[in-house]
Amino acid sequence: MGSSAEFFQHLMNGLTLGGIYALIALGYTMVYGILKFINFAHGDILMVGSYIGLFIFDAIRGQSLGPWTIIAFFIAMLGGMIFSAGLGMAIERIAYKPLRKATRLAPLLSAIGVSFILSNMAAWMWGTKSRKLEYPFDNSPLYIGEVSITPHQILILIVVIVMMISLKLFVDRSRIGKAMRATSLDQDTAKLMGIKADRIIAITFAIGSALAATAGFLIALEIKVYPSMGTMTGLKAFVAAVVGGIGNISGAMVGGILLGLLETFGVALLGIPYGLRDTIAFVALIIILLVKPEGLLGKVEKEKV
Amino acid sequence: MKKVFAAIMIVALVGTMTLFAAGGQEAAPSSVNVGFIGPMTGDYANYGNLISKGALVAIDEKNAAGGIAGKIKINLIIEDSEGEPQKGLAGIEKLSSSDKIVALIGPVFTGVSFAVGQRVQDEGLMMVTPSGTHKDITEIGNYVFRTVASDGLQGDVSGHYFYEALGVRNLAVLYVKNDYSQGLYEGTKASFESRGGKVVIAETAQIGDKDFKTQLTKIRAAAPDAIYIPNYTAEMAQILEQASQLGMKIPFLSSDGFSNPEIYDLAPAYTDGVIYVGPTQVAESAAYKKFVADYTAKWGFAPDSFATNAYDAAYILFDALEKVYAQTGKFDRKAIRDAFAATKDFPGVTGTINFAENGDLVAYQGVYKVDKTTPKYVGTFTVVDGKLVEVK
Repeated sequence: MGSSAEFFQHLMNGLTLGGIYALIALGYTMVYGILKFINFAHGDILMVGSYIGLFIFDAIRGQSLGPWTIIAFFIAMLGGMIFSAGLGMAIERIAYKPLRKATRLAPLLSAIGVSFILSNMAAWMWGTKSRKLEYPFDNSPLYIGEVSITPHQILILIVVIVMMISLKLFVDRSRIGKAMRATSLDQDTAKLMGIKADRIIAITFAIGSALAATAGFLIALEIKVYPSMGTMTGLKAFVAAVVGGIGNISGAMVGGILLGLLETFGVALLGIPYGLRDTIAFVALIIILLVKPEGLLGKVEKEKV
Repeated sequence: MKKVFAAIMIVALVGTMTLFAAGGQEAAPSSVNVGFIGPMTGDYANYGNLISKGALVAIDEKNAAGGIAGKIKINLIIEDSEGEPQKGLAGIEKLSSSDKIVALIGPVFTGVSFAVGQRVQDEGLMMVTPSGTHKDITEIGNYVFRTVASDGLQGDVSGHYFYEALGVRNLAVLYVKNDYSQGLYEGTKASFESRGGKVVIAETAQIGDKDFKTQLTKIRAAAPDAIYIPNYTAEMAQILEQASQLGMKIPFLSSDGFSNPEIYDLAPAYTDGVIYVGPTQVAESAAYKKFVADYTAKWGFAPDSFATNAYDAAYILFDALEKVYAQTGKFDRKAIRDAFAATKDFPGVTGTINFAENGDLVAYQGVYKVDKTTPKYVGTFTVVDGKLVEVK
């Protein structure tokens, strides 16, 4: 096997990993954009959404693989997204909204609390053993030259691209998207212009949580579903959001893909020991905070007086 | 003055009561506690579940027959380690001081066995692990025993077998950074290279990892003759599946971790052709058949080899308890250890059991090849003077 084939193999692996990070990072960045607040329960919302998707999929899929299986898979994914969206809004309403006028530390601590509650509830209700999500299709690899690509990786790339484009269009073109951008820019002025800021914030949480559930359900095929599945992935996606420029939607996409590639190539080509793989993201975080604290695509924000 | 008198009376009363209580226990203990430590929840729960139930079958049989000396019932007290040394230490703390166990069956995992082994050695409490295979576990001291073959032998047989019987010259290894996997990697590498083979690439991972594609892609590029994955089922299932997705067709070799049947639930489509070195197949004795039938009837699933080891460990322990009780009328921890160590030609369901000077089981290794999802026995092997010998 040639080294160029190895390179493209790593590239493929890195892109799919990065796509997942990007999808999760979008939730962090959207919420931050509007509330200047990091939702640390985001990774756990991802986990709950994956469990719900898994339950729906196991309930409605048949035993044999067929065209219905893939439809069932998407129905299950949609179910997980809707549940997560509802969960995200509920958490915002119960745990964050009452603290919006409190010190900036309060909602952050509340988020960490929610994160622990969700993961412990999941462990208590569903057990700590990983649950397998069956592939809705035959996942034998396809070959382009010597590079193998699985239908699963293709599915990830398609879903990620579709989600990103729709989100970008939604935020840039739709009325709600416009209201979101206005709220993010200046909440009080937006309210004066007749925008229902509370509703916009709820919608933002719903969209971010649904995207997280999508990402969780997609990776669950490979890593399975378990109570702590969102913890590390969520943290890394947070790093991706900061690297790309937190609050900036395109930045989250770029940051996510970049981080996926960095982790894969860092180990594969730069010779970083595998044991340090998880530290790559955090080293990248520190470097970006030192060199370009606003992130790759972020704008320097003037302190409002 | 009255108060002082009352105080003295109370002290005296309590003192007498304690004396009586202690005396009563010495005279006729009505039950005796034995501990068990293993992963009972989490991804490794299946190991702890199967193995503890092996010990439970033995204890229920013994209790049904009256218990020790026909009258003392045995309790098995199970502590969950989740496979983590820290939790195992908390478990032994409780078992030893609060439950006052006289011996420990377990721990299940190598890493936990190291931590707990040091503890029981310091405390003068014997343990017998049915599944902790790292060669250095029994080096901790004379209170540590096992009814499973040491990795020292497993690594030896693996290296020689891969080189000689399978004709592997360039070997890749993907192992998890824990005592169990690393121990097997080092042992196998040493014996494999002593024959002239070469480990062309050795990649590592962390326990609990789910994504092995980066390492597998590197291994694929190194084009080895075979890849050795001495890990636990949760990791091996991921590795086999992802290797297949990367289109890797080279043979997979593994260790006794593969003998847990859960692997066929986790990755049924990818186990075909895997060759692993593990416990020897038990000769089809009547006692073994009866154990498998009893176990299956009781729990609804069949025992694995470690569960069988736990069953034997329990019975050897009963013998030691009987001996000590017959001689002294109580259960002294040191006396139990000595009686256990003195075991000779014990007729276990796994065969005749003897312990070496260091507490290791005198043992051989079995080689298996998986056909779809059924392991087929290839043969029994050992290494004598640096040569692979098949035991007929």
